[in-house]
Amino acid sequence: MKISKLALALVMLMTFSLSVSAQTVDEIIDNYLENTGGKEAWTTVEGLKMKGKVQIPSQGLDLPIAGVQLKDGRQISSAEFQGQTFVQQAYDGETAWGTNFMTMKAEKSDSEATENLKRSFAEFPDPFLNYKEKGFEAELVGNETVDGVETFKVKLTKKPVMVDGKEEENVVYYFFDPENFVPIMQESVAKTGPAKGAKTQSFFSDYEEFGGFYFPLTTEVKANGQVFQTVTMETIEVNPEVDEAMFAMPEVVETEEKK
Amino acid sequence: MKKLLCVLLLSTGLVLNAQEKKDITLTGKQLFGALSARQIGPALMSGRITDLELHPTNNRIIFAGTAGGGVWKSNDGGATFNPIFDDHCQSIGVVTLDPKKPDQVVWVGTGETWTRNSTSLGDGLYKSTDGGNNWEKIGFEKSDRISSIVINPDNTDEMYVGVLGALWGDSEERGVYKSTDGGITWNKILYIDQKTGASDVVMDPSDSNTLYTSMWEFRRTAWSFNSGGFNSALYKSTDSGKTWNKIHNGFPEGKLGRIAIAIAPSKPEILYSVLETEKASDKGLYRSDDGGNSWKHLNSDFELVVRPFYFSRIVVDPKNPDVVVKAGLSGSISRDGGKTFKNLGNMHSDIHDIAFDINDSDRMYAGTDGGVYRSWNGGTTMEIVENIPVSQFYHISVDNEEPYNIYGGLQDNGSWWGPSASPGGIEARDWKRVGVGDGFRVLRHPTKKIIYSEMQGADNVWRYDIERNQNNTIQPLAVKGDPKLRFNWNAPMAVSDHQPDRLYMGSQFVHVSEDMGDSWKKISPDLTTNDPVKTDQSKTGGLSKDNSGAENHCTIFTIAESPVDEDVIWAGTDDGNVQVTTNGGKSWTNTTPNIAGLPANTWCYHIEASVHGKGTAYAVFDGHTKNDMSPYVYKTTDYGKTWTSIATDQIESFARNIQEDHENENLLFLGTELGLYITVDGGKNWSKFTNNMPATAVHFIDLQKKTNDLVMGTHGRGVIIIDDIAPLRQIDQELLQKDVHFFDTKPTVMKEQNGFGGGSTELQFVGPNPSSDAKIMYYLKKRHTFGKMTMKIQDQEGNVLATPTPSKSKGINIVKWNYNYKLPKIAKAKTVTFGGFTAPQVPAGTYNVILKKGKQTYEHDLVLVNDPRSRMTDAQRIAKHDIDMKLYDMNQELAYIVYGVDETIAKAQTIAKEDPKAKKIANKLIDELNALKETMVITSGDNYVDSSEPQLREKLATTYGKIVGSFTPPSVSDLENVALIEERFNEAKASFEKIKSKRLKKLNDFIAKNSLEPLTIKTMEEFLSE
Repeated sequence: MKISKLALALVMLMTFSLSVSAQTVDEIIDNYLENTGGKEAWTTVEGLKMKGKVQIPSQGLDLPIAGVQLKDGRQISSAEFQGQTFVQQAYDGETAWGTNFMTMKAEKSDSEATENLKRSFAEFPDPFLNYKEKGFEAELVGNETVDGVETFKVKLTKKPVMVDGKEEENVVYYFFDPENFVPIMQESVAKTGPAKGAKTQSFFSDYEEFGGFYFPLTTEVKANGQVFQTVTMETIEVNPEVDEAMFAMPEVVETEEKK
Repeated sequence: MKKLLCVLLLSTGLVLNAQEKKDITLTGKQLFGALSARQIGPALMSGRITDLELHPTNNRIIFAGTAGGGVWKSNDGGATFNPIFDDHCQSIGVVTLDPKKPDQVVWVGTGETWTRNSTSLGDGLYKSTDGGNNWEKIGFEKSDRISSIVINPDNTDEMYVGVLGALWGDSEERGVYKSTDGGITWNKILYIDQKTGASDVVMDPSDSNTLYTSMWEFRRTAWSFNSGGFNSALYKSTDSGKTWNKIHNGFPEGKLGRIAIAIAPSKPEILYSVLETEKASDKGLYRSDDGGNSWKHLNSDFELVVRPFYFSRIVVDPKNPDVVVKAGLSGSISRDGGKTFKNLGNMHSDIHDIAFDINDSDRMYAGTDGGVYRSWNGGTTMEIVENIPVSQFYHISVDNEEPYNIYGGLQDNGSWWGPSASPGGIEARDWKRVGVGDGFRVLRHPTKKIIYSEMQGADNVWRYDIERNQNNTIQPLAVKGDPKLRFNWNAPMAVSDHQPDRLYMGSQFVHVSEDMGDSWKKISPDLTTNDPVKTDQSKTGGLSKDNSGAENHCTIFTIAESPVDEDVIWAGTDDGNVQVTTNGGKSWTNTTPNIAGLPANTWCYHIEASVHGKGTAYAVFDGHTKNDMSPYVYKTTDYGKTWTSIATDQIESFARNIQEDHENENLLFLGTELGLYITVDGGKNWSKFTNNMPATAVHFIDLQKKTNDLVMGTHGRGVIIIDDIAPLRQIDQELLQKDVHFFDTKPTVMKEQNGFGGGSTELQFVGPNPSSDAKIMYYLKKRHTFGKMTMKIQDQEGNVLATPTPSKSKGINIVKWNYNYKLPKIAKAKTVTFGGFTAPQVPAGTYNVILKKGKQTYEHDLVLVNDPRSRMTDAQRIAKHDIDMKLYDMNQELAYIVYGVDETIAKAQTIAKEDPKAKKIANKLIDELNALKETMVITSGDNYVDSSEPQLREKLATTYGKIVGSFTPPSVSDLENVALIEERFNEAKASFEKIKSKRLKKLNDFIAKNSLEPLTIKTMEEFLSE
């Protein structure tokens, strides 16, 4: 028993030292997909349903969130407070929409956001799965220390996005742990919003298995060294049964006369 | 096989054993983990911009290179900028975009080329292939300063780099280099000598074979500057750099200085050049209309000839060859081909570069000593970009107020003080001026509302009375028998830890005042080498005299009184002496001969007199003005009789400042040309700190004693703070060997603050505040990636109050808790009630932090204390907490009642639908419940102006929010209002009970009689724990 454990440790030590030395980007990606469920298996994922919470430390908020996404792009993600559900982002196959906080009614997303959302569908369920077929480009650009780990830094160029009427390159850097080949961080430059032009980092941890696949249950989003949001998933359902009506944009009901 | 296995096992065992015993030495990010710096600017005065670069086709994209703050990029036409070069040398010579791939390929040549005394160094050429997000160093490590990067637009593999080269010494790495393979290999194609570098390389936009290069002979020492010589010249090549010819037809004979050169893009045979010449009448603007074959002298206006080493750029309007702009003190523009000029609009003085928008020449950008400016009317009106915090501090200090203030002086931007925290963030308006000109040391009187500040060369030293808004100028003046007092450009000033009114200043003598500068006495002889060669600045400058005082030498540069013994005073000089007195200045000893390995006359930049021993001090020497880029850091424990070097080769560049920790003698912070270094083992190992900390020159460091905040004055990125370095004190081998270790933290003061702040626009930089949350700090031996790692915070009764998400980095981790209860559960309604987003603070006391990592559990006590500045007594606080919690509970109870009402209505509706016999019973119940509900919550309207009359929930939540959100006992009016709400609350409760006992009972009877599915309501506990 003792010997087999040591032998195992030795083998692991050897594979480990092999793994940190020579790696191609495809070996890293293959290892990642293999270690998180298997490349073949990942292709069978038709939908994901998640439940969890989002914490926004600066505002002391801790809100339940839920989301469903299907391979064809239909999706809905929502947050809840005071018993009300607010749809942050939904797509019913044609229209992208969300809840306006003031009126609590559904409104269409602007055409550019809708277009960018559509372009992101190919990333489901994982941007690295068959990335070449999706027209993405991956490149190992070196090593970088992230959270104290000497990671593989992989540049992934996805489909371009539209930014204020102009098409821009869409690059995200992923930092893979050399021990188990899962990304522990991704970094990109915000294209819109108040942080436009600034780098934001998402740190992944608490990888756990759901339905045969490993997902990071915790994502900590940082900019300028400060955490501004933490998303923690509690459950992830792979290929869930969904009521397709949930994606539809609700009809706008005329305001009641009574005030 | 068996044998092999044995050997393998044995060796593995050895490895494991060896690892168990081995000391763990963590460096860089492995050690610092999530400990991160906070960049607070300020940006209101911004800092020196060295080069502007516009995208050739997309006028939303602008790059700005800075003197000490790296490269900044705008994606919105210059409205805002973001830093994109933080990991690398922050001194920028030139930024150039690839003409074919301007969105991807960006080149940066480091090393400012405006060669003032305080300029930083470059360390080579960099390339980005993703628009500036990631960078690779291409080479030219020893180039010091790169002035030009020129790329052939037709064949972007063909490129030229102009290397101005070393400022402080000879260098062969000067001249023009060419690559034909996109920068992989380089050939030197124009070289003059070790003193003469390429100050401009430009390419004819219509003919890539034609290039112009200006070569400049220049040199700086710590005590002089020379611009000019017989080797300065303007060259032209028409064969892609194979051969070069001087094009001086029309130029004066004799020595030349710095030469500017520009081509009119719309008519490339028109060239403009600005010459620095021997004769004043020959200086200024020259124009050629034949590609440099002949030149005509047009203009010697002040703006065209002023300080060529600092202003040597000409920019021609891309659409009009006769519109030409010259950088200068104010900058000036000609619209008649250079015949006459008028000054540019009002902006910060010292303009280094100008750029015209690619589509509209009325839109212009200017880079100055005080930031980037935009113009919409051809340079007449200028407005500053307000979010580029590249301020260049020479020095900073802190006071002991809460929040503490930071004081400091800046290159060409005066002296300022501002808070380390401010409601809504640290805004431009939070900073107040306490000096003009170039600012250096700024010190707060230890006990009075007095600030001392100074300008260059101690021309003025101010004692500023904050309360009266009054200044006195108090610099030491020569008295009978004195030689000329020599003050450094950045003259030393120090206050005493022992005598609050004592003030020290240094010329070649140490001066001391016991009355805040009203009277002075000298307490030392001349402590410098007093070398006459180095003390005559009357001719400095070369062809253009430049006796600004910046080259004053043989001066005292740093003074430190021991915090342990006021009679022990140290003085360090710019010519390499470290002098000490142990008797208050009666006698001095030069300890420099005792410093092994230190080259003679190396500038003593800082002496830190230690709190850990009377005879203990640190000295930092900067040799860069002798072209020596090594760090020199020494420690003595015996008044300088012996000095030990504590620098290692882990430190990349020369150092200027050191700060010791007040508690742990082994914890030291070193400010270097390329950023901050930290040692936790007394200098055996140094780690560069890079978490949100750019590789900017750190000129001065202070450690705030109450907060343990490390405050850095950087020469290019303003003030940068690492909040609370206490965990670094606790790092030792025992700790590093543990899987998880909680750092001891001071009790957290629960701040009672809820004032207003903010008001800056989104275009203005706002420095982030320190977090006032409780911090849970722990060390992880290994990064946590797989499996759950969770954290909860419990009170002494085991109630879980919070579940913050733990960070999982190897090294130091920081988790924050706002010491509030969770938000109360609010009754579901048609709208949101904003009072419900308030949560009460937990009482002061000890709380239990439980970290679960896999199967292991780690616990830690967290202590919260009340704000000592609170206006509440203990009794009032308890009473307030009771009412807070009473209202909190009422909110939750109401939520539960409304839930019960909703469930009951739903059930009644179902039954009525399924069984018509139940309709009557059900409908009466539904009607009564709906009528009740309408009094309890809002059932119509929206969150904005389509709002309905507030009901019980809204009134309760609003009053709750008001009372909980304040830090005073509830007012009489509050309590009266609570009584009113409580009455209504009790009525609602009673009504519900009544309905339940009458109407609901009937329904339940019906359900029982017909064996239907009974109504199930969760318990309150179940409901709340959802």
